[in-house]
Amino acid sequence: MEGLRQDDPPRIGEFLTLARLDPAARRDVPERRYLARSADGSRTVLISLPLQGADPGRWAAEAQWAAKLAQPGLWPVAQVGGSAAFPWLASPYRPALPLPEAIDAHGGPLPEEAVRTLGAALAESLASAHVLGVVHGGLCPASVLLTAYGPLVSCFGAVRAAAPDGMPRTGLPGIDAGCLAPESGTGGPVQAPSDVYALGAVLAYAATGHTVPERAEIPAGLRAPITACLSRDPAARPEPAQVLAQLAPGAAWGTQHAGAEPVSLPGRVVAALSLQAAAVLAAELPEVR
Amino acid sequence: MPTALLHDDPHTVGPYLLLARLGGGGMGTVYLARTAGGRTVALKVLHQRLTADTALRHRFRLEADAARVIGGRHGAQVHDADPDAPRPWLATEYVLGPPLDDAVEAAGPLPERSVRALGAALAQGLAQLHRSEVVHRDLKPSNVLVTAAGPKIIDFGVAHAVGEAPLTQAGAAVGTPAFMSPEQASGGEHAAAGDVFALGGLLVFAAAGHGPFGSGQPTDLLYRVRYTEADLGGVPPELVPVLSRALAKDPAQRPTTEDLAAALAPDGIPQVFADVLPDGVLRMVAQRGDEVWRQPPRLAPPPPDAPPGPVTLPGGPGPSRRRMLAMTAGGVVAGAGVAGGLWAWLGRGGGPGGGDPAPKPVKPPTRLWTFAARTPDRDGQVLSTRHGLAMPGGIVLCGVNPESGEGTWQANVSDAWRWATDGTDIYALREHDKGKKLAVCLLDPADGQPGEPLVELAEFVGGENRNQLLCVVKKTAYLVARAVNRDRWYVVALDLRTGRVRWRTQVDAAADGYLPPMLRGVVIGDRLVVSRSDSGIHFVNVTSYALADGKRLWTLSSPFSGEPPSELVVDDRYAYLTDEAVSALKLSDGESGWLFGNDRNVGGSAGQSRVYGAPALHDGVLYCTEGDRGLVALDAVTGSLNWAEKGLKGRRLSREVPPVVGRKYVYSLDDKGLRAVDIRSRTAVWTFPTDATVVTADRERGRLYLREQQATFALPLA
Repeated sequence: MEGLRQDDPPRIGEFLTLARLDPAARRDVPERRYLARSADGSRTVLISLPLQGADPGRWAAEAQWAAKLAQPGLWPVAQVGGSAAFPWLASPYRPALPLPEAIDAHGGPLPEEAVRTLGAALAESLASAHVLGVVHGGLCPASVLLTAYGPLVSCFGAVRAAAPDGMPRTGLPGIDAGCLAPESGTGGPVQAPSDVYALGAVLAYAATGHTVPERAEIPAGLRAPITACLSRDPAARPEPAQVLAQLAPGAAWGTQHAGAEPVSLPGRVVAALSLQAAAVLAAELPEVR
Repeated sequence: MPTALLHDDPHTVGPYLLLARLGGGGMGTVYLARTAGGRTVALKVLHQRLTADTALRHRFRLEADAARVIGGRHGAQVHDADPDAPRPWLATEYVLGPPLDDAVEAAGPLPERSVRALGAALAQGLAQLHRSEVVHRDLKPSNVLVTAAGPKIIDFGVAHAVGEAPLTQAGAAVGTPAFMSPEQASGGEHAAAGDVFALGGLLVFAAAGHGPFGSGQPTDLLYRVRYTEADLGGVPPELVPVLSRALAKDPAQRPTTEDLAAALAPDGIPQVFADVLPDGVLRMVAQRGDEVWRQPPRLAPPPPDAPPGPVTLPGGPGPSRRRMLAMTAGGVVAGAGVAGGLWAWLGRGGGPGGGDPAPKPVKPPTRLWTFAARTPDRDGQVLSTRHGLAMPGGIVLCGVNPESGEGTWQANVSDAWRWATDGTDIYALREHDKGKKLAVCLLDPADGQPGEPLVELAEFVGGENRNQLLCVVKKTAYLVARAVNRDRWYVVALDLRTGRVRWRTQVDAAADGYLPPMLRGVVIGDRLVVSRSDSGIHFVNVTSYALADGKRLWTLSSPFSGEPPSELVVDDRYAYLTDEAVSALKLSDGESGWLFGNDRNVGGSAGQSRVYGAPALHDGVLYCTEGDRGLVALDAVTGSLNWAEKGLKGRRLSREVPPVVGRKYVYSLDDKGLRAVDIRSRTAVWTFPTDATVVTADRERGRLYLREQQATFALPLA
């Protein structure tokens, strides 16, 4: 969480912005995300806008789709608003740290056990989405929001929103290059294996601090599942359910994704979550202009 | 852990809207509450039945002071407090961490390094308190909240004030003398060393999971506190010596807070306190930060026919969200986090007030802007002119931009009766020539500064602050002023273009000496109608003057039980008075035109003899409240009932503030806020929580302006 800057919108729809979720210096964030509050003070939300230079129409279409989903492990979108040129989406606020902020707070890559828990939750979420034919298409470190109850994946459809199939997507705004499956980068359709590639990149990031690690950097226990996910050939990548089985052997289905029970998080990540929650609780609306 | 409000909980306290209950006890209740700006706090409110007890009020003030002394690092940051309010309150941050007793119960005894860091941090907190000569006297596990940034000491003094009565939830270590010092147990003075003893006992509990003197009957505990050695079983051996010293029977033998901190953490407290907390406690900390955003609905139990969950997407038409979930989830149950989040979304909306039997509740609108008053002021209308808004703000008149709500200027015109608008400009009465002359000035629309006098009158006392500007119509100002010689009062018609007095007519002085003439005046057709209701005299006096020459046409005096009407409601036929009944007085001769309501059974009206509230006239219909039963709409010509509001219960309706009529709704104030009554269904569809005392309509801009003590805000007028 960081203070607003000059070029940040003071008002988005019925909401007044309070702070940025992501620091301005953070690269590879697919959306502009703010903590905001309705003018009567009653609703505090996390609100997202497309990046400058992105196609707002394609972005809004993905937001509309996300608002209709109620997938376990996906960040819920409660409201889509704005205009064709300036769309936004909003969700009720809850304390959440983007994975890069969590790793900064922790002071470096997460311990292997924490990466396993994270990976199992994400793999299970992808698996239950893929069963219904839903491909997330936006998984990357910044899209993973860590909450007290586990990780929730936001930025639904960021890769699809960047450009239609058939057009190269590498280097477009809203795309984290390290998480872009090779076939999606060259204009191929965004399909379930693309999500698995992004899952591998996110786990590599959690374990090493970057999305394109040397094999040797990855902790030995995680090496096999992560490198399998990062295969260049989509057909060679495992199903999310297989990744889940490797990361959390013997876990009952439906117990890994962010849910009803608080999860274990490193102390400094909890401290950063608490700090954010306390700041948002204490925040007063800015002067209405 | 937040629980739903009960039905007898207040709606608002001070500037806070109550959201949920956090806890309660012998002296007060702690609520989760929110300001208009959305800041969420823990709000401690003294029980209503105790507010008359000055000693308890004093205690409450001491507690607020002590909470300020300890500050946000070692305690809950105090945001605001009002120990002098009718219900004293104290607003602090909502602390994100479990009480130590809950933490130990759920996560087990803490590891040694946690106990050391916890003890050293608490010792520092106590040291800060003791330096300001405050002694906590009730340090125990339930009064320490464990956060990711360290422990916070809460609850100062209140428990002590009510003696042995347990304040918070039941439990072995709570509400019993388990953590008392021996000197306290024997009725002696518990000074700073007593807090050290209590801290020692608390750390034994943290390290071993049991209090130093066990549990049981209070008398047994008191005996053991005074005469037996503390039980340090289960305490890590390295901690035993330091804790034994803290638990010495002789206060002089105990270490100081500084010694204790140094002995517990020789290398200092870890930079990041969360590093020493065990996983189970961390989970509880994170959980508290999350669940405060997902509260239950505000009131318990939920209204019987309210839907059990979210039904419509806020602000969006189309299929309901519930249906969406069913259609797209394909049988996959939404994660609990998702459902909870939406609960919070709808549950925290603040209205439509609990238990309303409205068939189709509509979301209340949100504020368009808020203008904060520098000084409290809850009187005075919001005047709308071509250039902007003007409203009294304490000792000045404030200009406000109607689009943004920003203050644009301030004018040094204090009394609301000394200025008026003709809809375009603002005129004010001023004294001129050192009070010798009475002047009428135009206020500059850009900066609010009074211009050169349009008219100066030497024959009236300029320095008389009871002089009144009644109204300005067609460049003629109508005022009430005291003449220089013979001390008489006149109604004066003043031509602002020529500066000539067109006419003046003497006003009757009241028999018992002349009280400030709180008059209201309106020009209607060829008459000026003036009403006077001197405070303390339960009569309203209406006089009609011919506009051409000031001739008094008629005067009548009518008994009146309520607050004097703030506005006189007239049309070209009648003047309307509302009191025990609604009466229409003919403007031609002051005789009664029609009377409504003297034979109606309106139910109880809570001891108020005034049955009908201040009226509003709109398109030939007169609207006013009837008892506490709701609004009535009367045909202004005949006085017959057009309709009456349906289904309103359990409100105290405002008698003083007239309703405001929009196209869809009639707005009316009651003790729960501003109620919007749908003109077609004749039922209240939403209530906007506010304790406003002025509601003004601005039809040109489609706005409602509401004035609260500290702020004025705008809502859309529909």
